[in-house]
Amino acid sequence: MRSIVYYVREFLRPEWIRKFFFAKTAPLETPSYFKGYPALTGNECTACLSCMMICPAPNAIAVLRTRDGWEPEIYPGHCIRCGLCVEACPEGVLSSGRILDVTRRDGTAFWSWYHLQVDDNLCMRCGNCCVSCPVNREIDPQLAGSGTSASDEVIMRVEGGRVRILHEEKCTGCKTCETQCPNRAIRVARMVEGVQIGEAET
Amino acid sequence: MSILQKIKNTVRSRSIHVSYVDVGSCNGCDIEVLACLAPRYDIEQYGIYVHNNPREADVLLVIGSVTPQWVDKLREIWDKIPEPKVAVAIGNCPISGCVYARRGTLTSPPVEKYIPIAAQVPGCPPRPTEILNAILSVAPLIFKDYEEKQP
Repeated sequence: MRSIVYYVREFLRPEWIRKFFFAKTAPLETPSYFKGYPALTGNECTACLSCMMICPAPNAIAVLRTRDGWEPEIYPGHCIRCGLCVEACPEGVLSSGRILDVTRRDGTAFWSWYHLQVDDNLCMRCGNCCVSCPVNREIDPQLAGSGTSASDEVIMRVEGGRVRILHEEKCTGCKTCETQCPNRAIRVARMVEGVQIGEAET
Repeated sequence: MSILQKIKNTVRSRSIHVSYVDVGSCNGCDIEVLACLAPRYDIEQYGIYVHNNPREADVLLVIGSVTPQWVDKLREIWDKIPEPKVAVAIGNCPISGCVYARRGTLTSPPVEKYIPIAAQVPGCPPRPTEILNAILSVAPLIFKDYEEKQP
């Protein structure tokens, strides 16, 4: 009986009645640190295409030619707002939430290189890849026909009846070898690793 | 405008019934729709009720890129909803297929091929606030003066 009286008195308190009828949750605000769609900061884009290469969603970003230079464009129906393009851009062309501040504070960056792989079961040792490679041509102009080379500085050459990759780090990722290969034996893969600057020194 | 229409407008603005259907996605957008129900966003304070029953729904939230099994069933669900009705695409999947729009995947986005979509909420997943704003802004456009707009 006493508890009923208590509850009736509690529910008749003006403050309780006001709260009960007019309570509202917090307004619909987007917090400042939310990773929205990447926006342009005004820095000049050099069309290195790092953003397009790291983007995990198909057709989400494209670097387009404008009247005076290049400009990345984000397509909202495709972008998943992961912010990798913001992090990957070396010029800081894009910004989203606090990603740029955090990468600057932590000194993180993406380090990328090209990995070449030859499937020996598919490869028929024609040497097309070694001959067509523009970097190989630059280093050893004598390289022709069979793909053999006397130079040790070339990216790859036919050696002992098979393609041997010597200097993977010189690859520029143009994929000419991949398009020239008749058997799809050689594959160029872009590898990306997150690194922290200053970590190697300590 | 008749008094009856005014009453209908008032009632409809505070009583939007929502049904959601996932036609093949990663469930991330489902979780964001559920977050709207939770006290943090509290979808019911705006007069939006989630029943998940197409027969009593006004708004259909379509989530996911359409898989072959859903093609005919999505149309059936859409036909079951009484007029006036509106479909809202939640997330990237119904718009473009998002990460499933690749070769070799069993999806056929966009969802507009199967049912008429009135609003799209891009994002992977969209924020609950974006979903709420979309429902709140598209519902009055369709439901206000619905009978008078009919030919």
